Amino acid sequence: MTTDTANANRWLLDGHWSSESGGEAHAVFNAEGMHCANCARSIYSALHRLHGIRRADVNVVNSRVSVTWDPKEIKLGTILSAVGQLGFRPIPLVGEAAVLAQRNERRGALKRIGLAALGSMQVMMYAGGLYAGAYQGIDPSMAEALRIACFVMATPVLWYSGWPILRGGLGDLRRRVLGMDVTVSLALLLAYFASVFNMLRGSGEVYFDSVTMFILFLSIGRFFEMKGRHQAANITDALARALPSEVRRVSAEDGTSEKIPLSDVRRGDHLAIGSQQIIPVDGQVLHGYALVDESLITGESLPQRREVGDTLLGGSINCGSALTLQVTQNPADSTLHSLVRLLERAQSERPRLGLAAERAASWFVLRVLLATAAVAILWIIIDPSRAFHAVLAVLVAACPCALSLATPVAIASATSRLARMGVLVMHSDAIEGLAQIDTIMLDKTGTVTAGEPAVIHTEIIRSPHALSTAEALGIAAALEAGSSHPLAHAFTPHADSRIRCADAKEIPGEGVCAQLENTRWILGRAAFIQTELSINVDSPLDDYTSVWLASDSGALVRFTLADGIRPEATETMQSLRQLGLRLELASGDRPASVQHVANSLGLDTALAEQTPADKLAHLKVLQSASARRVLMVGDGVNDGPVLAAADVSMAMGRGSSLAHAAADLLLLRESLSPLPDSIRLARRTLKIIRQNLRWAAAYNFTALPIAALGLMPPWVAAIGMSLSSLLVVFNARRLAADQIREA
Amino acid sequence: MASIYLLIPLSIFLVGLAIWAFFWAVNQGQFEDLDGPSRLALEEDQPLSEDAKPRPD
Repeated sequence: MTTDTANANRWLLDGHWSSESGGEAHAVFNAEGMHCANCARSIYSALHRLHGIRRADVNVVNSRVSVTWDPKEIKLGTILSAVGQLGFRPIPLVGEAAVLAQRNERRGALKRIGLAALGSMQVMMYAGGLYAGAYQGIDPSMAEALRIACFVMATPVLWYSGWPILRGGLGDLRRRVLGMDVTVSLALLLAYFASVFNMLRGSGEVYFDSVTMFILFLSIGRFFEMKGRHQAANITDALARALPSEVRRVSAEDGTSEKIPLSDVRRGDHLAIGSQQIIPVDGQVLHGYALVDESLITGESLPQRREVGDTLLGGSINCGSALTLQVTQNPADSTLHSLVRLLERAQSERPRLGLAAERAASWFVLRVLLATAAVAILWIIIDPSRAFHAVLAVLVAACPCALSLATPVAIASATSRLARMGVLVMHSDAIEGLAQIDTIMLDKTGTVTAGEPAVIHTEIIRSPHALSTAEALGIAAALEAGSSHPLAHAFTPHADSRIRCADAKEIPGEGVCAQLENTRWILGRAAFIQTELSINVDSPLDDYTSVWLASDSGALVRFTLADGIRPEATETMQSLRQLGLRLELASGDRPASVQHVANSLGLDTALAEQTPADKLAHLKVLQSASARRVLMVGDGVNDGPVLAAADVSMAMGRGSSLAHAAADLLLLRESLSPLPDSIRLARRTLKIIRQNLRWAAAYNFTALPIAALGLMPPWVAAIGMSLSSLLVVFNARRLAADQIREA
Repeated sequence: MASIYLLIPLSIFLVGLAIWAFFWAVNQGQFEDLDGPSRLALEEDQPLSEDAKPRPD
């Protein structure tokens, strides 16, 4: 059964089960069903009988098995099935390793910054003494003592705080690419060993202060870069971590409960969710109401109240009391899982903008090295004593750190800001695309409209007892109260508790009739009214958007139904127009209702009765003939090809429909309102990237000649280069701030 | 000025102490959340858990 289990769990497996390092693979998993020391021992000895197992640990308390093996000799599947054959079920600890790795990386980075900060301050102090001594005269033995003190402080800073840079440089060399780590490492090592040499010699300059400061500023820059990266990855990690490995299933008949692994949950199961627990799969509230925190899924920070029958999203946290939910989706199709998979896919791609910057940086590094060599040769010819100074300054000044940070930091900041607004970036190029659009093509049903019918107009044609619009709607709602017809929902918001009818009779596909205070009321299509009451309704019989209400006392009311426009749509469209965007509506719906929506929202064009192929053709015309850059907003399910062909696409959706969405961006809260802000943010992001690139290039190109002429001491170059990196990082971090001003 | 030969090692020792304290704090998880606390003061109070609220009926 275990191979099956492993297969069934395949969607959870990748990247979560095991990790490899140095020819060894390692995995930690739960062995469900382990109760006692004997169970543990049997797993232990079974694993050790396998060929290729290096080490196996079984913890009986938390039923965790930790295995290290040689991936050349044995596969994880074999190990898992060996555990399974003993009657235990291996369950992955989702995301734990990733979370731990991120935490360690964070802590490591903080320690490196802390050490570099304290170390460089201290070195600066000793160096201050040396500088002062150079002017005022200093006892040589005291100068030597200060140099040694500098050395003592700078050494751990270089080898601990600077280690990632050195390792990066070495890695670049091994892979035969020229990254910026190469020049930085070269500068650091040159400066460090020259200083050590001068210290041992007892004379000459030491550059320990430049070394430590350079490392400090680089570490700070990288810390912010890492933070941006983590923030983007955090959505996935938080989601993955959120998954419990087992859940409590409640029997619908007798109310008894049992613990089952998450992978065994099926649609229709009833699950008990304790207070403060994660809701593992999509479901419905069964009793009472629930208070849930959906921030993981939608970014919405306030707890939401959900009534009986409302959908609970997998991945939200139950912040109210314990509740029971009915599972409405298979776990693998649940919102949470769909998101995790989508994000993993998205994060494995690299942005085009970033790649271009990286290539540019590599090109740059090669030239820097050539320039440095030229500078060295020239200075050796002119004045060998100043050659070292100049070479060091050139290496530091020319470091394209800012250049290569400019794009990724901005994109990471924008991505995390968008996520907080409820917009998930699925393709890293999407931000660039979103900034450049000038036309938005909107789908109607489910996008501009809520996808549910609503009464948009009530016309009282005849009324002997002065019926008000509200009364007419109330009566209609009372008649439809028991109906399950989709159109019946249109009247639900208008229900009036004072109007009740006991014996509504529904004639399926035709309408409803009921007695209400001695009057017989009929609600239905024109044809139904005509046959039932034999009155003449002046309407084409095939008009499916109108519903009529009539009574035997002669009242006649006409309701016009349409897919209701989302409440926020009007305001959103207005802001979008203010951004100078052309708005088009393309729908498969009939002209009347499409025109109605377009008119009430003030859209520029409305196309009705469009098949997906028509929409695609229209899009192509827009793109080629009018050279427009189009954002397509759809519900993500029916518009696949159109979404794919648009310059940027945005899908709206929840639950399993998300997984099929081929969109670049996902709107997580079912609302259009983040749209204008996301476009503003994208435009600002592009602006900031350009600013950053311009600034970084300007810095490099002015600093280089000055350094080459020997006019810039290495420590000034270090400050300049670090400040330019920091400037770039902080400029980009402005994107993550909550306020978005006009782009 | 001979005191400098004592003061320099002393300063190195003190910095070492500071570094040790900082590493300790990092390992204790003091710096896990650098953004949250600054906003915490501005947050609305969390709604009571449903258990703590009086029942409507």
